[in-house]
Amino acid sequence: MSGAPAGAPALRGFGAPTESVAGVALEARELGHRYAAGRGLEPVSFALAGPGVAAITGPNGSGKSTLLRIVAGLLRPSHGECVLTHEGRGLAPGARRGAVGLCASSVAFYEELSAGENLGFVADARGLADPRGRVAHALARVGLAGREGDRAGALSSGLRQRLRLAFALLHAPAVLLLDEPGSHLDEEGRALVGRLVHEQRERALVLIATNDERESRLAERVFELRGRGVGHPA
Amino acid sequence: MPSASSSSAAAVWAILRKECRSEWRTRYGLNAALLFAIATLTAVSFAVGRLGDRPDLLAALLWIVLLFASLAALAHTFVREVEGHTLTLLRLTASPTSIALGKLLFNLLFLAVIELVAVPLDLVLLGGPPLHWGRFLAVLALGSVALAGTATLVGAIIAQTRGRGALFAAVSLPVLLPVLAGAVSGTRAQWSGAPVGAELRLLAAYGAAMLGLSLVLYDHLWEE
Repeated sequence: MSGAPAGAPALRGFGAPTESVAGVALEARELGHRYAAGRGLEPVSFALAGPGVAAITGPNGSGKSTLLRIVAGLLRPSHGECVLTHEGRGLAPGARRGAVGLCASSVAFYEELSAGENLGFVADARGLADPRGRVAHALARVGLAGREGDRAGALSSGLRQRLRLAFALLHAPAVLLLDEPGSHLDEEGRALVGRLVHEQRERALVLIATNDERESRLAERVFELRGRGVGHPA
Repeated sequence: MPSASSSSAAAVWAILRKECRSEWRTRYGLNAALLFAIATLTAVSFAVGRLGDRPDLLAALLWIVLLFASLAALAHTFVREVEGHTLTLLRLTASPTSIALGKLLFNLLFLAVIELVAVPLDLVLLGGPPLHWGRFLAVLALGSVALAGTATLVGAIIAQTRGRGALFAAVSLPVLLPVLAGAVSGTRAQWSGAPVGAELRLLAAYGAAMLGLSLVLYDHLWEE
């Protein structure tokens, strides 16, 4: 994992789950967001290049989830900028949507649809090749094989978290954003998170927002949000 | 690297199918809309009998039924995403334009289903002069596009606001009045054998304006 490179062709999509996505870089320049006075993300600057794993830690309210939402393109920062590039070229919103996978508690599913139908919708909307195969593969990876017919609304919170992981991994993103990925998961689920991060470290840029030591130990670099910017790597 | 950037057409189609599947599973709007249309037309039929000699009343009644039967459901396509907390998933999956077009197509389909029931029922229960089918269907189609386009846009605007119920009425009334006026006037004119060109132009222009406005605004509506 190193600083952002400069280079050639635009990133259009990211492929098969095992395929490596090199040359992806993320740079935050004085990036901050303020919801209200004293709340939000204080300006931070950092540069990361994939593949590799980084963890962001910090007390509640320090802006970890906000940072991930900005990187995912869900939130426009009120300060600074967040640049996601592939081989030196910035990604437009559409390409960013294809490049980023987010697993966060804010991702909810259509309760009246089954787990398979939810992911099938996402695969179809993203225009993925072999959507059924992708969905089956993604569900199997998170231990939900055979549960594709279960209604999303009837899944336990732990199984729903696994479905969020499958959703984030479905399109084999170049940047995988995991916000407290172990929440609601049992020991087996937490081990699964470890395995998935280990699988992804060679092919994608993984960013984990967490205060769980087991999760932050998965990272090669750890940043701490202290309320006034990123602290020194731990 | 196979492509994962969402093709717009694929996304629109996927959203349309998802909306249909969700509506079919929950019957959130369909049952209420059909019940309203059938109950209203039946009640008016019992109260005043046939209105064959009053095309003005017939035209107004038809569009009032279509408007109130469908409006809540049309606007709710976005509210449902906010209340079900699924907007994040949707925004991570498809572009705002694809979402808008998918929702608009679903609303048009929804309106067509309501019309398939309400229009024949209106004609059978309340009577009416012979239809000029070409003009009638043109007014119905363009009126539906304008109605669905307007309701979809208003639904998107109010979806993330507090007090959206009150806001919905306040925002929809002024923007829907031109649609209602054009549709009622066109429907009445075709029953009277008069030309409907002006009404068709109004509805087409209004529908196109709403669609254009939607495509421009949607990118900004859901920014946090």
